[in-house]
Amino acid sequence: MSKIRTLMLLVITLMLAACSELSGNQGFAGLAASVDNTSDDEFLQPGPGDPLTFPGDFGPHPQHRIEWWYLTANLETAEGEPLGLQWTQFRQAIKPRPADAVAPPPENWPLEAAWMAHAAVSFDGQHQFAERLARGDVGHAGATFAPLQVWLDDWLLSEPSTGEPWRLTVEADGWGYDLQLANTSERVAHGDNGFSAKSFDGQGSMYFSLTDLDISGTVTMDGTTHQVRGKGWFDREWSSQLLKTGQQGWDWFALHLDDGHKLMAFRLREDEGGRDFRSGTWIAPDGTATSLGPDQIELSGEGWRESETGRVPERFRLQIPDAELDIEVVAPEGQYWNAGLYPYWESPVTVEGSHTGVGYMELTGYSK
Amino acid sequence: MLIRAMTSHYRRHPLQLLALALMIVVATMLWTGVSVLTGQARESLAVSEESVAAREAVVRADGQPVTVEDFVTLRRAGVCVAPWLETALGDPARRVIGIDPLAMACFDVPPAGDSAVGVAGELTGDPFVDISEVTGGSGRAEQSGQLSLLISPDTEFLPEGYQRRSFQLGPATGELADSFLLNLDALSLLVLFITGLLVRSVYHLGLAQRRSSFALLERFGVTKSRLQRLLAMELTLLTLICVVPGVWLGQALANRLGQGFGLALDSLFDLSLYAGEDTPVPWQAGLVMLVLVLGVCLVDRLIPERTGYQSKPSEPAVLPWWVWALMVAIGVEMVIWAFSLVWVFVGTALVFTGIGGLMPGLLARSADAVARRQSPGAPLGRWRYRELAVMFRQLALPVVALQFAMATVLAVQALVTTFEDTFEQWLAQRLSAELYVEIPESASAEGGSRTLADLNGLGDWHHVRRGKVQLPDINAEGEPVTTDLMALSPITSLVTDWTLLESVEEPWTALSSGGVMVNEQLARRQGLSLGQRLTVGIGSASLTMPVVGVYADYGRPAAELLIDGAGLPDDFTPSFQSFSVNPGERSVKDIGQRLKDEWQVADLVIRDNASIQALASQVFQQTFLLTRAISVLTLVLASLSLLVMGWVFFSTRSWYFHLLGIWGLQPDAVRAQLRRLALLLTSGVTLVALPLGVWLTWVLVSRINPLAFGWSLPMAVYPGFWVELGVVMALIGLVIAWLIGRQLNGQVSLRPGASLAGGGER
Repeated sequence: MSKIRTLMLLVITLMLAACSELSGNQGFAGLAASVDNTSDDEFLQPGPGDPLTFPGDFGPHPQHRIEWWYLTANLETAEGEPLGLQWTQFRQAIKPRPADAVAPPPENWPLEAAWMAHAAVSFDGQHQFAERLARGDVGHAGATFAPLQVWLDDWLLSEPSTGEPWRLTVEADGWGYDLQLANTSERVAHGDNGFSAKSFDGQGSMYFSLTDLDISGTVTMDGTTHQVRGKGWFDREWSSQLLKTGQQGWDWFALHLDDGHKLMAFRLREDEGGRDFRSGTWIAPDGTATSLGPDQIELSGEGWRESETGRVPERFRLQIPDAELDIEVVAPEGQYWNAGLYPYWESPVTVEGSHTGVGYMELTGYSK
Repeated sequence: MLIRAMTSHYRRHPLQLLALALMIVVATMLWTGVSVLTGQARESLAVSEESVAAREAVVRADGQPVTVEDFVTLRRAGVCVAPWLETALGDPARRVIGIDPLAMACFDVPPAGDSAVGVAGELTGDPFVDISEVTGGSGRAEQSGQLSLLISPDTEFLPEGYQRRSFQLGPATGELADSFLLNLDALSLLVLFITGLLVRSVYHLGLAQRRSSFALLERFGVTKSRLQRLLAMELTLLTLICVVPGVWLGQALANRLGQGFGLALDSLFDLSLYAGEDTPVPWQAGLVMLVLVLGVCLVDRLIPERTGYQSKPSEPAVLPWWVWALMVAIGVEMVIWAFSLVWVFVGTALVFTGIGGLMPGLLARSADAVARRQSPGAPLGRWRYRELAVMFRQLALPVVALQFAMATVLAVQALVTTFEDTFEQWLAQRLSAELYVEIPESASAEGGSRTLADLNGLGDWHHVRRGKVQLPDINAEGEPVTTDLMALSPITSLVTDWTLLESVEEPWTALSSGGVMVNEQLARRQGLSLGQRLTVGIGSASLTMPVVGVYADYGRPAAELLIDGAGLPDDFTPSFQSFSVNPGERSVKDIGQRLKDEWQVADLVIRDNASIQALASQVFQQTFLLTRAISVLTLVLASLSLLVMGWVFFSTRSWYFHLLGIWGLQPDAVRAQLRRLALLLTSGVTLVALPLGVWLTWVLVSRINPLAFGWSLPMAVYPGFWVELGVVMALIGLVIAWLIGRQLNGQVSLRPGASLAGGGER
C-alpha cells in the first residue's frame, strides 16, 4: 500500500512539476510566489472601469488566469461553541479561452485549466483541512452561474433554484459539512466599482463579496454531527495577476463587527525595503461601502506563532483612523495551516479593542 | 613523552600505519558501498516493481469500455479514480502512459514536498506523460490506447453499474524480488563479518610487532591498563580519521556503479527508476564501521585472561581441533534439518566459526606434511612448504577472512547467475504465448474456444481456467485444504516446453490422461511425490489423480495444482478465465475482432506478453548489476587485504628470504622462490574457499529460500568463475612476490628479533 502511495505521490509531484504552466514561481492562484506578466500574455487583465455583470460574474472567467469562489464562516454549535469554516474553489488557467470559444471535448482530456478546492473546519483546537485537484473541461470540476454551481468531485456549492438559499456540501476523510447559505444583503463591490488594486503600479483584480450570509446546517467531525448556525462571508475574485514581482504574500481579513459594521482589509507584503500595499472596504450596517486606500489603513503584525510549516504573526493591530477603529485581530490558540500543495494560514479570529467581533484571517507567503 | 614512545613504532614503520589506515578506509568504503548499493537495489526494485505491479481498476458492469463520462460519474460520486491510458508515442515508438496527475491527488498521498519523494529521484515525464498528450488534448497525439480507470485502494464505495477488476501490467514478481533482497541482506551481513575479520587481522599483526615496545614501556613504569587505554584511544582516533574518507569513497563508488545502473534503467522506460540519486551521506554506515573496528580490535581488552598484545591474537585456534570440527558438524546438521530461518543462520554461523578455527591449522599441517615428503635432494621445496606452514599459522586470521571473502564472492556470483537464469526461464514459461486475452464474465469461453479453433493460421493457444479446489484427505488434522487450480486446454507446446522440477515419463501426455501436476509450494507443504494419488474436490466431483509432475512457481506463495481442462467436471465454476494465444499468421486486431464479434462485447483486454516479459526481465537484470557490484567490492577488499597482509608478512620474513641469497641462490632464483611461495599461499586460500563457497550457495538457494518462501532455486556451480577468481588470486600472489623481490634488492635485511609479528618462527 505504502509503495503505491509513494508511486502516486511521485507521479503527482513530478507531473505537476512537468506541467510547467502550473509550476514555476507562480504557485496556484497566487498562493506561492509571484510572477510578472509577459509581453505576449494573452490573458485579459482587469483594470479600473471594468464593470461587474450579474449573474455572469458568479460563473467562470476563462479569459482570466486565476479566480476563486471563497467562503468563510464564523459559526456556533448548538452548545454555543465557536466553529470556523472555510471553502474555496480555485481555477487556474494554463491558456486563456475567448468568451465565445467552445470548450474542447472532454475525451481529449484537455489541459487548459486546473481546479483546486480547499475545505477546512476549525473547532475545539482542531484544524481539519482537505484539498482536491482536477483538470478543467473534463467535467468533474467546473462552475456555472445559471444556476449557480461550483463543483469539484462530490464537493458542490449550488443554488437549487433562483432566490433560494445556496447549499454547500463537502465530504472529506472523516469529516464534512452540509450547509444552507442565505444572503441577507446587497453585494459589495470592492475598490473602484469592483476593481480592487493590489499594488501601487495598478495591478489588481475584480472583487466583490456577499458579506452577510446567514448560514445553518451540520458539520461532522470525529463521528459527531454538530448543528451549526452563524454568519458567513463569500468572495468572488478573478484576475490574471494577483501578485507582482517583489510581493511576498498577503494578510487578508474579513471581519463582522458587533456594531453591525463589516471590514475587509488586506496588505500585500513587499520584499525588504519595499512599501507594503494596503487596501480595504469599510461597510456600514446599512450596506454602504467605503473603499479604503493605502494611507487610510495601518496594519502591523505582532509576535510570531511558530510551527514546522512556517511562522505567522500571532496578532495584528489594525487601525482605520477615519472610522475611529483601532483593533487587535487575534487567532485562537493552535495551528491553522491549510497544508496543501501550497500551504497558507486560514483561521477564524476574534476582534478586540475599539470594536469587537469575529471574522477570518488568511495569511499567505509565510510557509517555509 | 609517552605518546611519542607509543607512536615511535609507526614512525619507524609508517607503512604498517598506512596499511592499517588503508584497511579501515577500504573496509569502510566497502561497507558504505554495500550499504548504499543494497539500499539502492531495494529502492530501485520497489519502484521498478511498482511500475509493473498489480493495481485495481474500475470497469463497467455491462462490459462496455469505460469512458471519460464514467470517470466524471465516478468522481462526482466521490469515488477516487484516475485515468490510465497506455499507448505508443513518437518515432521510434516508445511506450508511454497517459495519466492525469491532478486526478491522482486523491490516492491518499501525503502533501507534495513530503520527504518520501526524495528516495526515487526524478521522473523525467516519461513514461508518465499528461494524458492530454496521448489523446489529442495537446495536439500531439498520434494514436490512442484503451482507457482504464485506476481506483484508489482505500476506496470502498462503488456506484451501481461498476465493478472492480485487478489491473496488472506484468506478472507478479514480488516473491522472487523479496527472496532476492533477503539473500542480499544475508550477504551484506557476511560482508560486514568478513570486513571485521580482515581489519582485526591487520591490526593485530601490527600490534604483535609492537610487543617489545610495550614491554619496554612497562619496564619504565607505564601500567598495563594505561597502555591499553592509550591503544584504545589511538585506534579510535585512527578509525575516526579513516572512516570519513571511507564513507565518502564508498558513496562515490556506489554512485559511480549505480550511475551505470541508472542509465541502463532509464533506457528501459525513458524513466528514471534508479533510486540512488541524491542519496544523503550514509553516516550510519560510518558509525557501524567505527563500532565494528573498535569492537573487533579491542574485544580482547574486555577478556581479562586474554591480555591483548601479550598473546598471539592472530592464532584463533585456542580450542582443540575437535571442538571446531564438532562445531562444523553441528552447524551442518542444523542447516540441513532446521525448520526455521533462524536456525539456518545459527547453523551457518557455526559452520563458518568452526571452519575458521580449523582451517589455519589444517592448512599448516598439510603444508608441513608436503614439506616432509619432499626429497632430501630438494631442500628448496622443503623450505618453501615449511615457510608456507609458518605463514598459515601466523596469518591464521587473515587467511580465514580471505577464505570467507572468496566464499562469499563465489556464492554471490552463483546466486545472481542462478536468479537470472531462473527468472528468465520462469518468465518465459509463464508468458510463453504472445497474447493474453481475458474472457469477459458475460462471455462464453466455449464460444471463444470454437472461434479460435476455427481460425486458420492461428498459432498455438490454450484456454486457462482458474478457481479453487479442495484436497479432502491431505491435511494432517483431517481438515480439507482449499487450494488454487489452474486448468489448461488443449495442452500444446505453450506448456510442453516447461522445465519441470520433477516429472514422470511423458508428463504432459500423462496429464492429459488424467494426471495432475503440482507446484513446488504444494509439493513441499504437503510432502507430495511423483506417482502419489491425489484426491481433489472440484465442483461437486471428487477426482483421484496421480501426481505426474512438479513445476516451479516463483511468483506467489500459494499452492496450486494444474490439470487438463478437458477433465474438469461440468459444474466447476472458474473464478477467472483467459486465452493464451500465439497469433501465428493472424493479426492481433483480427483475433481481437473475432472474439469481440463472438462475445458481442465492445471492450476486450488483450495483453502483449512479449513487451511485459521484456519489461520485467530488463528491470530485474538491471538490479542484478548492483549485486555484481557488491561482489566486485568484496573481491576488491579481499584482494587488497591479501596484498597488504602478504606484503607486510613477507616483509617480516625478508631476513629468511635474504638468507636464500647467502646460501648461494642467484637473485633471479630467489625471486622465483618468492613467486612460488606467494602463489602457493594465494592458491591454497582459493582452494579452501571453493567448497565453502559452494556450500554457502547451497544454503542460500536450497535452505533459506524454501524456508522463507516455500520454493527453492536450482543449485548451480560455475567453475568458469572459479578459474577467474583463481587467476585474480594468482595475480595478487605475483604482485606480492614482485614487491618483496624489489625490497630484497633494495636493502639488506636485518635478522629479525623474536618479537616481529611472530615471524621469528623457523
